[in-house]
Amino acid sequence: MSESLPNDRGQNKASARILAVLCGFASDTPEFGITELSNVLDMTKNMTYRALTTLVEQGYVVRTAGGARYQLGYRVLELQNNALADPDLRALAAPAIRQIFDLMGETVNLLIRVRDYAVFIDGIETRRAGTYRLEIGGLRPLHGPVSGLVMLAFGPDAEIEDYIARHPSLNYPGREARTEAQFWAEIDAIRERGYGQMLHPGALPMLGVAFPIWSADDKLHGVLATGGPAERVAPLLEESMGRLQQIMSELISRTRLYPARRSDWGFG
Amino acid sequence: MTPPSRRAAINSSASHVFEVLRFVAEAAEPLGVTEIARRLNLPASTVHRALVTLEEANYIQRYQNTPCFELGMMPHLLNRALLNHFALHSYSRPQLHALAAETGHTVSLWYRLGWYGIRIGGAFGSQDIHHRARLGETDLLHRGPGPAAILAYLSSSERQAYARFAKAKFPELPPIGGWEEIEDRLAGLRTRGFARQSLPIARDFHAVALPIYDAREQVVGSLMMEGEFDEVNPSQEMHKAREDIEAGLRAEPKRFESPFSHIDVDEIYIRIIDSNDQP
Repeated sequence: MSESLPNDRGQNKASARILAVLCGFASDTPEFGITELSNVLDMTKNMTYRALTTLVEQGYVVRTAGGARYQLGYRVLELQNNALADPDLRALAAPAIRQIFDLMGETVNLLIRVRDYAVFIDGIETRRAGTYRLEIGGLRPLHGPVSGLVMLAFGPDAEIEDYIARHPSLNYPGREARTEAQFWAEIDAIRERGYGQMLHPGALPMLGVAFPIWSADDKLHGVLATGGPAERVAPLLEESMGRLQQIMSELISRTRLYPARRSDWGFG
Repeated sequence: MTPPSRRAAINSSASHVFEVLRFVAEAAEPLGVTEIARRLNLPASTVHRALVTLEEANYIQRYQNTPCFELGMMPHLLNRALLNHFALHSYSRPQLHALAAETGHTVSLWYRLGWYGIRIGGAFGSQDIHHRARLGETDLLHRGPGPAAILAYLSSSERQAYARFAKAKFPELPPIGGWEEIEDRLAGLRTRGFARQSLPIARDFHAVALPIYDAREQVVGSLMMEGEFDEVNPSQEMHKAREDIEAGLRAEPKRFESPFSHIDVDEIYIRIIDSNDQP
């Protein structure tokens, strides 16, 4: 079968590959070589080269000054519409939320920071018994859930010290009391790991994991978190952590295009 | 090696896909298969296949569960990625926000790319009542005060080269008053030191734009402010913001070079449509 023929859904495979190669440039990487791009897209070098040739002909990709590499072309400026707003964090994160839910089967939450609170803004709640709830608009103090700790951990130390000064008890329902030193140890562990993981003891021990969503200016847009009963989630996390991190990496390659401050997105 | 006939089929299919994508991008409202096929004079089956391919890859999306399509997320991401390659886009952000906050007016930064101006930065002012401006907006240098504040300060030979390009590629988009009057208008702009234009949004709404110079004393962009003005002149705050941006350009000229500086200006072609001609 010729590769230019449509597949079962009526999609044209060769064109789909060309569009996929162009998608590869929707990241904070300014230019690619063929080998590099074919690795990122998991395509053969030959397919990548052919797609690039078409994209150069169309003007959506141009060769760099040296001629050996490729960069995004100015004709992508034609693909805009004044009447449409830029996507927001919920739109950017929606595919990752769905993928993580499909992978884990547990509740997935998207949270942002508002002052000293983590706020639920989107997600999918599982129908399984014993679960973290998704409460859109709900607030949690930053020292409570693992998502809040991640928001604190990737800020400067001085900001964390100020936070502790405002909330000296660091108590949170369902958690054992902790000292300031223990709190800092939790922060350090998150920084070292690059994401947060926390076991809430109790009648039904719950295990949560939270990933930072990075912006163009190396600040956090928010956090994507999932979790559930430890007995169910721990083995799943062990086998799925690689895929989870891959999903997050794909999401962050897009969120890194936008600055952290929302007012800078659409026009800034 | 791909046989020529098969290769031609791939290119033809890809060119239909991009043709449909550009059409959806330019449309004033979401469009369905039949309408797109009719307007592009393509078989409905070809358009259907192109739409499925584009939707799968996130370039277009269904409009509110209807069989009509509008731009999806991917073109937004590509545009944002392109803007991020212009160092001035993120560098100018604090200055633009400070200027918008101080004056309450919407401000934009236009940058020269070939014979076009691109809006690469901006901040809405608190007094903004209606604005559809967006980053990445591109126009010919003779259209609008932002691009015109760049055109006016090009050398005489560059302005002649520009006129040749614009007349050849965009005969349907002549300057207001025609090509015969443009030199006088640009001379007036240079005498004044800034571009200005009344905006149709409301009475007393205007735009003013100041040229921005780089380290070589070449005009590479312009700073534009839009809003309700008592006097249609650039404010002191606007001059100060321009100075701050120019200081950055002078301090690190290499960093702020255009990502397309290696391409001949006449080769840079970006399709511009008059907003009145939108499908």
